[in-house]
Amino acid sequence: MDKLKFAFYWAASCGGCEIAVLDIDEKILNVVEKADIVFWPVALDTKYKDVEAFQDKYIDVCFFNGAIRTSEHEEMAHLLRAKSKTLVAFGACACFGGIPGLANVSDRDEIFDLVYRELPSVSNPDKTTPQLTYTAPEGELTLPQFFDTVKALHQVCDVDYFLPGCPPTPEMIEQAVTAIFEGTLPSKGSTLAPEKALCEECPLEIQEKKIPFIKRPYQVTPDGKRCLLEQGVICMGINTRAGCGARCIKANMPCRGCMGPTPEVADQGAKLVSAIASILGVEGEERMTEKEIEALIAQIKDPLGTFYRYTLPISLLRRKVIKK
Amino acid sequence: MVGSIMVVGGGIAGMQASLDLADSGFRVYLVDKAPTIGGVMAQLDKTFPTLDCSMCIMAPKLVATGRHHNIHLLTNAVITNVEGTPGNFTVTVTMKPRYVNAEKCTGCGLCAQYCPVEAVNEYDERLTLRRGIYVDYPQAVPLVYAIDREKCIGCGLCENICQAEAIEYHQTPEEEQVNVGAIILAAGFDEFEPDTKKEYGYGRFKNVVTATEFERILSASGPFAGHVVRPSDGEVPGRIAFLQCVGSRDENSNKYCSAVCCMYATKEAIIAKEHNPDLEATIFFMDMRTYGKGFEQFYKRAQSEYGLRYTRSRVPCIEADPETQNLLLTYETEDGTITKEEFDMVVLSVGLEPPKSNQELSSIFGVPLNEYGFLDWKIFEPLKAKDGIYACGAFSGPKDIPDTVAQASGAAAMASGVVSGERGTLVEEKVYPEELDVAEQPPRIGVFVCWCGINIGGIVNVPEVMEYASTLPNVVFVDQNLYTCSQDTQEKIKQAVEEHSLNRVVVASCTPRTHEPLFQSTIREAGLNPYLFEMTNIRDQCSWVHMHTPEEATEKAKDLVRMAVAKSNLLEPLKSSSVEVTQSGLVIGGGIAGMTAALGLAQQGFTVHLVEKEDHLGGLLRDIRYTVSGEDPQEYLTGLEQSLRDHPNVTIHTQAVVEKVEGYVGNFTTTLSSGEEINHGICVIAVGGQEHKPTSYLYGEDKRVITQLEFEDMLSKGVKAKTVVMINCVESRDDTKEYCSRVCCSEAVKNALQLREQNPDATIYILYRDMRTYAFREQYYDKAREAGVVFMRYDPETKPRLEKKDKSLVLYAHDSALDLDFELHPDLVVLSTGVSPYDNSALSQMLKVPLDRDGFFLEAHMKLRPVDFATDGVFMAGLAHSPKFIDETISQAFGTVARACTIVSKERIETEPIIAEVDEELCCGCQVCIPMCPYNARELDEEEKIVKVNEVLCKGCGSCVAACPSKAAQQRHFRDSQLSSMIEAFVRR
Amino acid sequence: MYEPKIIGFLCNWCSYAAADLAGTSRIQYPSNMRAIRVMCSSRVDPEHVLRAFVNGADGVLIAGCHPGDCHYISGNYKTERKYVLLREMLEQFGIDPRRLRLEWCSSAEGGKFAQVVTEMTEELKTLGPIELGAGD
Ligand code: SF4
Ligand code: SF4
Ligand code: FES
Repeated sequence: MDKLKFAFYWAASCGGCEIAVLDIDEKILNVVEKADIVFWPVALDTKYKDVEAFQDKYIDVCFFNGAIRTSEHEEMAHLLRAKSKTLVAFGACACFGGIPGLANVSDRDEIFDLVYRELPSVSNPDKTTPQLTYTAPEGELTLPQFFDTVKALHQVCDVDYFLPGCPPTPEMIEQAVTAIFEGTLPSKGSTLAPEKALCEECPLEIQEKKIPFIKRPYQVTPDGKRCLLEQGVICMGINTRAGCGARCIKANMPCRGCMGPTPEVADQGAKLVSAIASILGVEGEERMTEKEIEALIAQIKDPLGTFYRYTLPISLLRRKVIKK
Repeated sequence: MVGSIMVVGGGIAGMQASLDLADSGFRVYLVDKAPTIGGVMAQLDKTFPTLDCSMCIMAPKLVATGRHHNIHLLTNAVITNVEGTPGNFTVTVTMKPRYVNAEKCTGCGLCAQYCPVEAVNEYDERLTLRRGIYVDYPQAVPLVYAIDREKCIGCGLCENICQAEAIEYHQTPEEEQVNVGAIILAAGFDEFEPDTKKEYGYGRFKNVVTATEFERILSASGPFAGHVVRPSDGEVPGRIAFLQCVGSRDENSNKYCSAVCCMYATKEAIIAKEHNPDLEATIFFMDMRTYGKGFEQFYKRAQSEYGLRYTRSRVPCIEADPETQNLLLTYETEDGTITKEEFDMVVLSVGLEPPKSNQELSSIFGVPLNEYGFLDWKIFEPLKAKDGIYACGAFSGPKDIPDTVAQASGAAAMASGVVSGERGTLVEEKVYPEELDVAEQPPRIGVFVCWCGINIGGIVNVPEVMEYASTLPNVVFVDQNLYTCSQDTQEKIKQAVEEHSLNRVVVASCTPRTHEPLFQSTIREAGLNPYLFEMTNIRDQCSWVHMHTPEEATEKAKDLVRMAVAKSNLLEPLKSSSVEVTQSGLVIGGGIAGMTAALGLAQQGFTVHLVEKEDHLGGLLRDIRYTVSGEDPQEYLTGLEQSLRDHPNVTIHTQAVVEKVEGYVGNFTTTLSSGEEINHGICVIAVGGQEHKPTSYLYGEDKRVITQLEFEDMLSKGVKAKTVVMINCVESRDDTKEYCSRVCCSEAVKNALQLREQNPDATIYILYRDMRTYAFREQYYDKAREAGVVFMRYDPETKPRLEKKDKSLVLYAHDSALDLDFELHPDLVVLSTGVSPYDNSALSQMLKVPLDRDGFFLEAHMKLRPVDFATDGVFMAGLAHSPKFIDETISQAFGTVARACTIVSKERIETEPIIAEVDEELCCGCQVCIPMCPYNARELDEEEKIVKVNEVLCKGCGSCVAACPSKAAQQRHFRDSQLSSMIEAFVRR
Repeated sequence: MYEPKIIGFLCNWCSYAAADLAGTSRIQYPSNMRAIRVMCSSRVDPEHVLRAFVNGADGVLIAGCHPGDCHYISGNYKTERKYVLLREMLEQFGIDPRRLRLEWCSSAEGGKFAQVVTEMTEELKTLGPIELGAGD
């Protein structure tokens, strides 16, 4: 059998997903035994030109990590889509926008202002910000466009599979790769993770799902036995896909949602608002005044950032309103 | 024997009795002299002590009564003759003409808009006007207009305008003979008419109103749309006085206490205060009788939170300032000072009187009335008027809504007890054709747009809406109807379903709250599942509220139709499933409540297990030696116990307690301490209560200090003491026990009278805070005063003090009424300590039913479900619920029987079709949904680690569905996809 | 003139009844709202509200029974907590929280219902059409 051709690409991401590939340890050897890597900017010196020269569908499987932050990312998404038989959104950022997606609470101008002008460590007397073109003595230089809005991969091109996680765990990667080699991938569009939420895998014990008060993770040391929500720590495991093995929970930290929402959920944040507010203060709800309710709810700091930590770009509203 | 029962009076009592009977297999004839049912409760704004909106809590019962296929409403009707014997009466009912054909009238109200005649609106307590053709109130059942022929000028306008052709001027009275096995009298009450009390100037002074008038003024649907203004000039009153006991506790009118006025005045004052926080409200009263469950706490809150002023004084007369129409009250405070005070408005807390028709009812039915004109009943038979004829509610004396509702259920149990063998013989079940299987078919939607005469069509361009509907996806048929609800249209709809193979039907007309069942039944007759139906409201919420903007109304109607069609695409057939019922009951507690309930259930033909922790039955009643009206409780108890022991359906388990309860309504399994397992379909909690044992007043230290029950025992053996002092409210209405125990005042009076009889020379003092001898118990308070019992009122701040000097007892008391100190030397001090609950926590957990703050069991709804729990299939009676008298306990116990019969009378119980479900592929077992459910319908399946819905318990609110973070939980008929489809169709694309 | 579009989620037992009563009492109010009937206000999911906004609603009304009056005992308490949290989050999204309104209307309060819709319509007129997202 011919060896398969793999490609890896990195858009707006932290690089963790690249490391994750290496984290499958010695099994990487099985991979290279069965597949050639034809494009991998961090590891191989292949140029965009080379990719452009590939025939359409030349690549068998392209693993694309990172969100779409700039026009470069978007162009590469289109290019790799055209050149690949199978395009996999790899990791939370490609799947949902991920942590970079939280930048959707601001827009380009705000970000540039802050990063290039306002931060105390910036020395920029001319107050210049990145320009699309710049005429240097050597000729014209260009930079990609920095978008107002971060997007997930499937919002700019067609995606065949989603492999979520921040980053995807070695087990998940290995399973996905095995499925590719064995030709046992599920139907197109699938997410390569379980359908149920993390509670399914969670080792903690649920006594009564009620939240008496909210504590931020640094304010408590959970007892390691009881459901974190019941101990007042916001855990997003209730509608975040399982498949990670509850790693954070086992490290006594709450789930922050990197596996993305369960399949029926259109807006993870809204559903979490619904669930968390419903069980927050159920005890004694009939005696609470409006003020008390507000105080109770105010314990949740930054609901948007908390409940959409990884999924703001794919939420119903997608981003904060840009006032004209 | 006939399996049908007549209920006379369609107020809350009559409705409750009818529903209980109809739901347990009997045909019911509900007769009301008014054109609509609902009674007084329909006029109330809010109800005490929870301040629930009266119409909100009553409307579902109204609708259920009107819609029940086993309840036949005979409104505008009077009873003219009764013949026969228990089990088989023939009642002649005369229906007064309403001059409107009830079959044809759609209740649209167009006629009333055109009627040129005005008449006073009785529903609004004569504060507004209505038309000559009218319904009492918009939610009325049946929603059929009536012509007031006294006012009608016969102009013919209504006849011309009514496109349903419902006006029939020529109608004449009709007589109907109805055959029934038993009769329940629930004729309610009239309100005392204060015209006779000239000193209050009612009728002369515009700003003196009755409490019911004020209730209407408070109501959002009342004469001033909920703005609290005074009648004379429409100004907002800043100072309102409430005068208590108008027409109650009064030599010159009614001697009895009306039992509800203290609470309703407090309630009205609170609501008025909520409307206008600056209001100064003063309640002039003699004794504050807030004796019911949660009432004392309400009274306290009225003072502390709302700042109501309570002034202990009976105001003798009112004068009005002719200029300002303000009212001048001159009254004597307790210390004897005469005070004059000005108010902007005065509310007379008028009492409850027997309806004038009681005399007639009494002679037609041959039932006795007491000296006041209410039914004459016996302590141990509070619901019985005579054999085969029972009574409930205010017909047998003034009482509040929860007591009325408990009695209504109780009367239903007694009445159906007469004909229990005939259960199910006269109920009608509708037979439908077999249901078509449309699951695999693509949607074929038919849309029917209603003109509602000109109610819709006069504003909304119906043909245009219809035309538009035909362009919507999957709509294959559209039609318009003059009246979609008329009989011939039902045929048209059925035909259309057949001819065009429709598998979804949308009706755009009036409100689904009243009309959905009709159309559902129509499409069911055409072979479609009733849930393949969607309705949208283009009348009440469109044409009627946008009368001046017809184009906008038409656009809105189109949008609404589009949304309904969008949802109908996704509708699915729904079926209710059913579970088998173990047709037997378990009664926990063998006191009078439990014994009564057990016997009642047994007499209805069901097996019953009665569980009692002691080795004997009888509970607290064993300590009651006599009643104030002279009956012998022990004799009654012996008889009751004998009937129980003789009854083949009853198994008694003494020295047994409940250890474990599993299951749910219809299917409980209970394990007793003996190890025995009992399967039962329902459970009655009748665990009783106990006399509170005090720690104050040297109790336990000195043998001369005893409790009322101990005193009663002593009296039964003879008491020689010369000076006896009774102290009421000991460790009650204070920090030990916040609540009032309701019975102690009367208990003290009873014991005082008994002592007086035994010992005419004894000096008897009763030290009290408020004498709460409510309703007819007032007569014994009167009697005790006449018999020379000394009543001395004390304030909680200056409580009596008891000391032991040398060997004798000295009691220092401050009479707050006279503001004098007394030193008494009693031989015996009797403490009224009230009733305490047992420790009910274990039972409460086992049965998953809540306790209130005082430790008594907490009912599903304070007002309308006094013997039910939110958890289906569990009921309560007696002291387990709250302190109460024997007759009240018996009424409640019978109440549980009727409520239980609505379950155990069925072989299977059907689940609601619109309930929650769980997608097992998606449920992760997070259990967020479990605490959402007020009915304990959600439970974790320990094995599969997912949550399952108990379909019998689920009421279909959808709380759990919205809370489920994964959308594993869904609500049938209101699925996420269905609601989303409506949202997505909201804007025209 | 700009006419705001409002979606109203009305609970079957009180607020839908209040809307009906406004009709039977012929109380006139602006025609900007389209109702979606739910059995209890607690069925309304914040996701529905966001979906309404992205589908063109300028405002969303959730109406239920008064506290203590919920036909299902405690549904509206949950509604209230969800509403408060959602309102806060909407603000973070840059959506004026006045676009989402929670009201209690008893079945006797036809007038109040009409007033709520009127007020809300007026308020939304001053706020102007909803703007979402934008930018590139
Ligand atoms: S909330 Fe949803 S996922 Fe969680 S246990 Fe309930 S049904 Fe299952
Ligand atoms: S829909 Fe309501 S009643 Fe049914 S299970 Fe859910 S919370 Fe309970
Ligand atoms: S039924 Fe109206 S809010 Fe729950």
